Amino acid sequence: MPITKDSVRKLEDIVGTDNIKNDIADLYIYGSDSSVHKALASVVVRPTKTEQVQAILRYANAELIPVIARGSGSGMSGQAVPIDGGIVMDMKKMNRILEIRPEDMLCRVEPGVVDDDLNRALKPHGLFYPPAPASSRVATIGGEIANNASGIRSVKYGATRDSVLGMKVVLANGDLITLGSNTRVEASGYQLDRLMVGSEGTLGIIVEATLLLKPIPKFRCLARANFDKLKDAGESISEIIATGALPSMLELMDNIAITAVNTTLKMGLPDVEAIVMFEADGKVKETVDAEMKLMKEICEKHNGYGIEMSYDTAIRTKLYAGRKKLFAALSRYQMGLSCTSLADDMAVPYSKMAECASKIHEIAKRNNVVMTAYGHCGSGCMHTKILMDPTKKEQWEGAKRAVEEVYEYVRSVGGTTSAEHGIGLSKAPAWKKEKADSLAMLKAIKKAFDPNNILNPHKLQDAPEDWFSATEIRYPVE
Amino acid sequence: MAKKYLKEWNNELNICIRCAYCFEGCPVFKVTGWETDTARGKTILAYGVVSGELEPSQYIADKLFQCTYCRDCSERCSANVSVVDILAAARADLVEAGFASDTHKGMAKNVKETGNIFGDKEIKAPTQQGDVPVFIGCQYLARPNQTKMYLKILEKLGVKPLIKDEICCGYPLHALGFRKEFEEHKKKFLELYPEKDIVALCPTCAAYIHEEYGKNVKHITQAILEHLPEKNLGLKATYHDPCDLSRVMGITEEPREILKKLGVEIIEMPQNRKTSQCCGGGGGILMSDVNLSDDIASLRIKQAIATGAPLLITPCPTCEQVLKKAAAVMKEKGNGSIQVKNLNDIVWKALKS
Repeated sequence: MPITKDSVRKLEDIVGTDNIKNDIADLYIYGSDSSVHKALASVVVRPTKTEQVQAILRYANAELIPVIARGSGSGMSGQAVPIDGGIVMDMKKMNRILEIRPEDMLCRVEPGVVDDDLNRALKPHGLFYPPAPASSRVATIGGEIANNASGIRSVKYGATRDSVLGMKVVLANGDLITLGSNTRVEASGYQLDRLMVGSEGTLGIIVEATLLLKPIPKFRCLARANFDKLKDAGESISEIIATGALPSMLELMDNIAITAVNTTLKMGLPDVEAIVMFEADGKVKETVDAEMKLMKEICEKHNGYGIEMSYDTAIRTKLYAGRKKLFAALSRYQMGLSCTSLADDMAVPYSKMAECASKIHEIAKRNNVVMTAYGHCGSGCMHTKILMDPTKKEQWEGAKRAVEEVYEYVRSVGGTTSAEHGIGLSKAPAWKKEKADSLAMLKAIKKAFDPNNILNPHKLQDAPEDWFSATEIRYPVE
Repeated sequence: MAKKYLKEWNNELNICIRCAYCFEGCPVFKVTGWETDTARGKTILAYGVVSGELEPSQYIADKLFQCTYCRDCSERCSANVSVVDILAAARADLVEAGFASDTHKGMAKNVKETGNIFGDKEIKAPTQQGDVPVFIGCQYLARPNQTKMYLKILEKLGVKPLIKDEICCGYPLHALGFRKEFEEHKKKFLELYPEKDIVALCPTCAAYIHEEYGKNVKHITQAILEHLPEKNLGLKATYHDPCDLSRVMGITEEPREILKKLGVEIIEMPQNRKTSQCCGGGGGILMSDVNLSDDIASLRIKQAIATGAPLLITPCPTCEQVLKKAAAVMKEKGNGSIQVKNLNDIVWKALKS
């Protein structure tokens, strides 16, 4: 159903005139995120309480209007792009921290709370919320849950799914349900809270979440090791994990990434084939020392050298600066090239990290695009970006082939399409191939939750087969 | 619409990865909460206009002018996108297409006719011969007592200011999109100031003269610090970094050093130095959207009150003006109180004693 003036009036009655936008300029802005996709929202509403979310969904379900929940729109795969238009529900105004219970190591929050704001509020209690995606300064808790986000410390603390105890969700028909518990463990029964994590707004709208917290570690030590061979770096990573060491961060940067930060930001990283960064944290210094010693020895065994290590915050910041600024460096890698989030966060088994990085280089060369390999290798997560001239059709053809070849390789080694950025539109074709034998079950689950298919339609298992033509591309392709 | 200025930034618009990191510190977004008001929102609008996907409209123009130019977005941008340049280009195209507001048009006319943004023919620089060219700027010229105080400070410290019959630095014309007027003005400015080295009183003028004209600009705080003796005022205060001084000029320590030298204990707000939150007075919104400016100022003054300091000190006349107003509103509403003073007040208090 298209949005009519009457629909807008009805939505205004629910959220008030200050919380609705329908100028073409607003609809255009709320039609895209950090992916390559774009569409046009039909109306943007901003609920401030659960009852409003319920009323909007009751109305949309009756009128068969799509509803796309949105946090900060920082998703990289098109999860929040309203492919058929509809109501974009901006959740950022539901941003109250409802309760912090240090004695139970949990907190209750509304979905629009920004990750960093939550962690600032938790700090005086000596606690933190661990997922830490790179976008934590703007990413909302609701968006992180819908995406099952994670980041540099997932190797130790896991992804969002490991930090969510329960939630309140508004279903497509407007009903409010409570999922999960306030406890660390919960035995049998379908754990719908876990199903909701990573569902990308296709099963319900999260209006409250109960989150598991961790104590802020007293000691943190970071090291950086250089490798002349990518293969040696990869083998170090595999062995660090295999020995049972417990890094709180284990990162890889390839030579393209190193060149990028050196040439564009003059970071002065050593001109080597790979860099591995490893970190340990904890309450007891001797334990952290032991973890660091073990990881250092493994790196040295695999020809790692020039290892710098420090507990000092300023030195750690300096050691990590190259990795932190990598995104900016890639964006400025070469005049005319743009940094696109395509095939950007696959995961492969540890033993395949180095091979995966080499494959990425081969594939990029073959398809005339630039691709780097870096990431949270301690979690098996390999990041890349495709750098290309986004105005040239042939570059997109190359990018399409590269994406296909990367995922073909990832599937061949038993990896997965997305480690932490989500599926949305741009990764859906590869993900559907990966999940081929469970697609019918996934579709049945979607139907059970959302029989009228109003919640973020055409995403995940229902996404178009070709990501490139799924929506318009947000660049001016010739 | 011709889009002649915006077209030059096509590549930069493609560089933006739309990560939304610019949301974090955007003062306009903090007040409205709408993505349209963020730097990402504005660059998407600029892209829409330059690509022809959006027809320019008054609404779009209003949104593109609703920015304090505080550059917090540029500071946090993960792709180092020149947001301010994109915005300035978009504004220039919109102005040439007839979307300038009457207030901004009036300001441009004032600069042309009187040399200052206020259109006040009585506003004149206190010309004098000296060794160091000092640029006062429209905002301080409109505050003759403060200007006098800075000049007395300089003299007391042994610096002989050379003051010319100055005209506006040109920043308002450029930032608000009046390019043709700006080009004419620029010639006059450069004829008047052939010198390479200038000391500027106003942080915005300092940043602009440095960036646009490539001059070696010292801000007055740097000039003062070089000659300032130690004193002990025994004050406690929080310090507000003006955006142009901290983010554009990178001058964050000199004003703090001055205060420390004078025995002022600084209680920092959490957002300080390069992450300082804007006062709400920049980018022309003080002229065109005073309510928005007031709301932004109120956010900053709340942060200042939360430090528990009885005094806020800033070297920028515009920051001082809007924060003084916000502090008065807070006091009236019973939401806490803080005194707002210009840095020159503090320095003069120390030197005259």
